[in-house]
Amino acid sequence: MGRLLAVIGASLALLLARAACAYEFNLSVDMRAVSSNATDSRLAGGLGKLRYDAAHDGLRLGYVRLGYRVDVTQTLRVAAEAIAYGDHDVNPLDLTELYADWRPIPTSAWRSRLKVGAFYPEISLENRMRGWRSPYTLSFSAINTWVGEELRTIGAEYSLDWLGRSNGHGFDVTFNAAAFGWNDTAGTVLATRGWGLHDRQSSLFGRFANASPSPRTVFYDEIDKRAGFYAGVTANYRGLLEARVLHYDNRANLAATADKIHDDAWPTYFDSIGLRTTPNADWTLIAQWLHGRTYVDSALPTNAWSFNSEFLLASWQQGAMRYSARYDSFAAQQTSSNFLPYVNDIYFGDRGHAWTLACSRQLGERWSVALEGIEARSFVAQRVLPNYPNGPPAYATERQWQLAVRYDR
Amino acid sequence: MACTFSVVPAPASATSALSVTVAGADGRPVEGAVVIAEPAAAPKPPPGLRAIMDQRNLMFVPDVLVVQTGTAVDFPNSDQVRHQVYSFSGAKTFQLALYAGRAHAPVVFDRTGLVTLGCNIHDSMLGHIWVTDSPWFGRTGANGVLDLRELPAGDYTVHVWHALLDESGPQLELHLKLGDGATGTATFRLKRPLRAPLHHHGADKKWEDY
Repeated sequence: MGRLLAVIGASLALLLARAACAYEFNLSVDMRAVSSNATDSRLAGGLGKLRYDAAHDGLRLGYVRLGYRVDVTQTLRVAAEAIAYGDHDVNPLDLTELYADWRPIPTSAWRSRLKVGAFYPEISLENRMRGWRSPYTLSFSAINTWVGEELRTIGAEYSLDWLGRSNGHGFDVTFNAAAFGWNDTAGTVLATRGWGLHDRQSSLFGRFANASPSPRTVFYDEIDKRAGFYAGVTANYRGLLEARVLHYDNRANLAATADKIHDDAWPTYFDSIGLRTTPNADWTLIAQWLHGRTYVDSALPTNAWSFNSEFLLASWQQGAMRYSARYDSFAAQQTSSNFLPYVNDIYFGDRGHAWTLACSRQLGERWSVALEGIEARSFVAQRVLPNYPNGPPAYATERQWQLAVRYDR
Repeated sequence: MACTFSVVPAPASATSALSVTVAGADGRPVEGAVVIAEPAAAPKPPPGLRAIMDQRNLMFVPDVLVVQTGTAVDFPNSDQVRHQVYSFSGAKTFQLALYAGRAHAPVVFDRTGLVTLGCNIHDSMLGHIWVTDSPWFGRTGANGVLDLRELPAGDYTVHVWHALLDESGPQLELHLKLGDGATGTATFRLKRPLRAPLHHHGADKKWEDY
């Protein structure tokens, strides 16, 4: 792992040297004051829904983020995102994205693009800031929390844009499709913890010593040597209305296991539909829906889960102030199980909803402050199991306040 | 679109004037409409014409520029981020390699017509340049009116265009004859509402849609 990071670091240094006048570097620091009554979070080995919990609140580092992009040629850009959370990840600073983006200059209304490397699929309409952060709330929606935890394209994505707006029409359309590897464990967190609501992205090489479900579980691992794929369409009407549809399938082989990480391949597929409307300069409304299934273990009956989540977000900006409210609803239900005898005959599953209210204020060009309150009510069947801290009851109402001070340059 | 015009004599002027009014489908004045009055025989544009199409806050400024044929247009980049300006319009196809500040020589627009500008890095950026042989053009004010002065007497075709126009066809132009010293008026009324204005989240460097 260290060797891999060294190689990547050296490559970036070379790129920097090669294109000394054509790079952008930016930095974000986010400090938080947190008050939380939540049960132990996933990072503490628990089944809490939120990033922090009653045992881990107070003054915390939200993140330190480094973004770098270099124009290697006129049409080829390399971008890297690194982030540090200061929460005892095995890598104190780690990459969340590293990719090359080829974007030829259009000579007609059709333009091809190709992205190769590790990056987020085009799924979120909420995470619109560099580093895959949200300008609206500190905690992401349940859907995009999961994307940040378990989904990354490590592969290649081809996009075909129809630039209608540059051609006298009212809208642009993008079709994209990707083939990827190293995502055979996607679904593990949804199946074991259920949904969460936080902004703690998993990094490409990181691991967290105490995290549930297992400290040995590795995100972004290739187990079955079989590529997954996704395909999607995005339509944008004059920047006022944007719609996204995505079908994702990691095509994992149920029979494949990886003893070294104490995990199996998890076949996971889902559909996502999102809508964002910006009717005027003040208002933004976002709705997203995701529904899918994940499986593990080829022994019969195969463990299967069905999962879904929806959210509706409204945000109002007035000058330097922004006010946002979001309602999330979520469920992840185990529908068949071969380990009932070991878990007191319960089927794993969670269901619940959450309200998130946030306001933020920009203080000059580089500083901003944000205040967020979140309340998540959930039933998580496996909370009654003795191997999870805090124990029963299965129902929990978790509340968390966060005050963030951010610096971006 | 309905178009009407009238010409009334004005006693003490050697040249003519033209007042053009553009109203929307709802009858309200349309601001920012491009009006070009093309004489039957346009004079040859003088050499050395210059214009500026700036880029500020991830927008082309102005959003629509009208220039005479042969005008050299500068594309300074006033943003902190780099732009890559292009057009694949028939009237002018060009690309400006990634740049900040004033890295490029001006682009000469030598054919009449509408040129649509984009930025390959920021797809939300959209700008227009109208290229015309005529020196008599402008954009309507908040009252939907553009007054053109010092037009020689003669036959004119008046064109109206707007960046948010949702209609096309011969109804966007009319022909009129201006008598010597006369003041002409022309009124256009759009058939359809203008499209909603383009919206984007501005030049905040922290934003980048995923």
